[in-house]
Amino acid sequence: MNRRGGDPSPSPAQTAVYNIDSWNRLVRLAARAFYDDITLKGDNAPKAGRGDNRGMAVVVLDALTRRQWVREEDLAKSLKLHSKQLRRTLRFFEEEKLVTRDHRKESAKGAKMFSAAVAATGEGQRTGKEGEEKVKLHTHSYCCLDYAQIYDVVRYRMHRMKKKLKDELDSRNTIQEYICPNCARRYSAFDALQLVSFTDEYFHCENCNGELVAESDKLAAEEMGEGDDNARRRRREKLKDMLQKMEEQLKPLVVQLGRVKDFSIPEFGSLQAWEARASASARANGDANANDPSKSSQGQGYGGTPMPFLGETKVEVALSGIEAKEENAESENKSAGLKVLPPWMVKQGMNLTKEQRGVVKHELNADQVSQSDEKKPKVEVEDEKSVQAR
Amino acid sequence: MFFHITLERNMQLHPRYFGPHLRDKLVSKLMKDVEGTCSGRHGFVVAITGVEDIGKGLIREGTGFVTFPVKYQCVVFRPFKGEILEAVVTMVNKMGFFAEAGPVQIFVSNHLIPDDMEFQSGDVPNYTTSDGSVKIQKDSEVRLKIIGTRVDATEIFCIGTIKDDFLGVTNDPGVAP
Ligand SMILES: [Zn+2]
Repeated sequence: MNRRGGDPSPSPAQTAVYNIDSWNRLVRLAARAFYDDITLKGDNAPKAGRGDNRGMAVVVLDALTRRQWVREEDLAKSLKLHSKQLRRTLRFFEEEKLVTRDHRKESAKGAKMFSAAVAATGEGQRTGKEGEEKVKLHTHSYCCLDYAQIYDVVRYRMHRMKKKLKDELDSRNTIQEYICPNCARRYSAFDALQLVSFTDEYFHCENCNGELVAESDKLAAEEMGEGDDNARRRRREKLKDMLQKMEEQLKPLVVQLGRVKDFSIPEFGSLQAWEARASASARANGDANANDPSKSSQGQGYGGTPMPFLGETKVEVALSGIEAKEENAESENKSAGLKVLPPWMVKQGMNLTKEQRGVVKHELNADQVSQSDEKKPKVEVEDEKSVQAR
Repeated sequence: MFFHITLERNMQLHPRYFGPHLRDKLVSKLMKDVEGTCSGRHGFVVAITGVEDIGKGLIREGTGFVTFPVKYQCVVFRPFKGEILEAVVTMVNKMGFFAEAGPVQIFVSNHLIPDDMEFQSGDVPNYTTSDGSVKIQKDSEVRLKIIGTRVDATEIFCIGTIKDDFLGVTNDPGVAP
C-alpha cells in the first residue's frame, strides 16, 4: 500500500473525489477513439524490424490518468519505455493539446522538492536519486494531463468530424445545378448571370424560357436522372452510413462528455504551483517529512495523503495512515511505557488507561500524541509537531 | 487574393507619338489598356506599379505602327476557392443573391444561405431571419466564402456561400452607421 510501484491503481484519494474518475474515463475513451492506431516513427528507428508501436499512445495516456505532474524519466521507467520514445509520444500529445509539459534545469534540491511533492500525493515512485544529483544541473521534463483543454479538444474534434460529413451530405460546398423541366437542359450556378430574369424572381432557360428548378429538389433530380446521378447517390449513401457509424461508435464518448460537463475540471496548475501546494498540504497533514528530503522515503508511507489540488484534506488518512503510524510508533516511541493502542483497536467498553487511549497530557510526549490522535484537527497536529521539532 | 507580379505586353503605337514624350505616351496607354482588365490566368489587373523595361520597337509593314515589348509590374486580384471575401450585394432574387467584391461577381445560391433565412419578395427583395434580426438585401455587405470559380479568358465568376461560421451580413444597410 505504501510503496506505489509502476502502475499504481487509482489512489484512495482519487476515488474519494467523485469526479476525477469520470474525467479519466473521458481521457481513456478519447485515447481509444482517436489515438489507438497512431504510430510515432522515430527519426532513426533502430527497432524497425519490430514493427509499429501502435497502442503505445493509449498506454501513455492511460498512465497519465493515474498521475498528476510526473517527471518524464520516471514515467518512462515505470512504463518500461525508452525515454526518447516516450518523449516523442508526449510531444505529439502536447501538439494535440492533451498534455502540458514543463522543462526546467534543476539541481538536486529542485528534484527533491518534486519528489517530496510526489510523495505527498502518494503517486510517486522512489527513484533513489537524491544522493547522485548533488552538484550538476540537469534539464528535467515534466508532463501532466490538461483536462480543461482535453474537454475542448475532444469536443472540437468531434464537431469537425461531424461537420465535414454533414457539409458533404448537404452538398454545402457543391455548385448548385439547375434543370429546365421543359427541355431538360442543365445549367450550373456559374451560369447564374445569364439566367437572371428581370421580370420575376426565378432563373429561366435560355432555350425555351422555362422556369429552372434547382436540382437538389428531389423530384426534379429523379425525373431527370442520369448515369452521373447514380454515383452521386451511392456516395450519399456512403456518407450517411459513415455519419451513422460515427455517431454510434462515439456514443460512449459523447455520453461521457455530457457527464463530465457539470463537474468542476481538475486543475493541477503549473508545475511550480502544484509542487508548492503539494508540499504545503503535506505539511498540513502532519507529514513533516515532506519538506525534508532526507526523510522523504518515510513520507512515502502516507500512501493515502489526499491530493493537494483537489482541496479535500480529511478523507483518507484513517485508511492508510495506519501503516505509517505503526512504523513510526515502532521506531520512535520505544520509550513509552504503555503502548498506545491504535484507534482502530480501541472499541467502546474497553477498559484502558488514558495512556492506552492516547489521551495524554501534553508534557508526556508530544510526538506520541500526534501519532495516535487521528481525530484531532490537522492544524493542531502540525502545531505539536513543530513544537517537537524545536 | 492580391499578387504583385511582372507581366509583358506588346504595345502598338501610332507614329504621330514618336518624339520626346514617347515613353510617357507608352506608359499612359499601357495603363489605359491594361488596368481594370481581366485575364483568366492572372486575374484582374488592379494597378500598374512600374514599368521595368521597354524593348526595341518593330515597325509593322504597311501601317507604320510600331510594336514595343513592354515589361511592367502590377497588382492583380484573383479569387480562389476557399477564400473569404467581403462583398456588396447587388441583386437578390428567389434563387439566391449576387454580390460584387471589386471587379469580381459572386453568386450565392439559396441553398448556400443559412436555412433560417427566408426569401421575402417585394419592392426590396431580401433574405431575412424569422426574428428579423438579420437581413440581406441590395447594398448589404456580406462576408462570404468562395466555393468555386469559373475563369474565362476575360471574366472570373465565383460561387460563394454564407452557410458557415462567421459568414453573412457584416452591416445592415437599414441602420445608419
Ligand atoms: Zn428549357
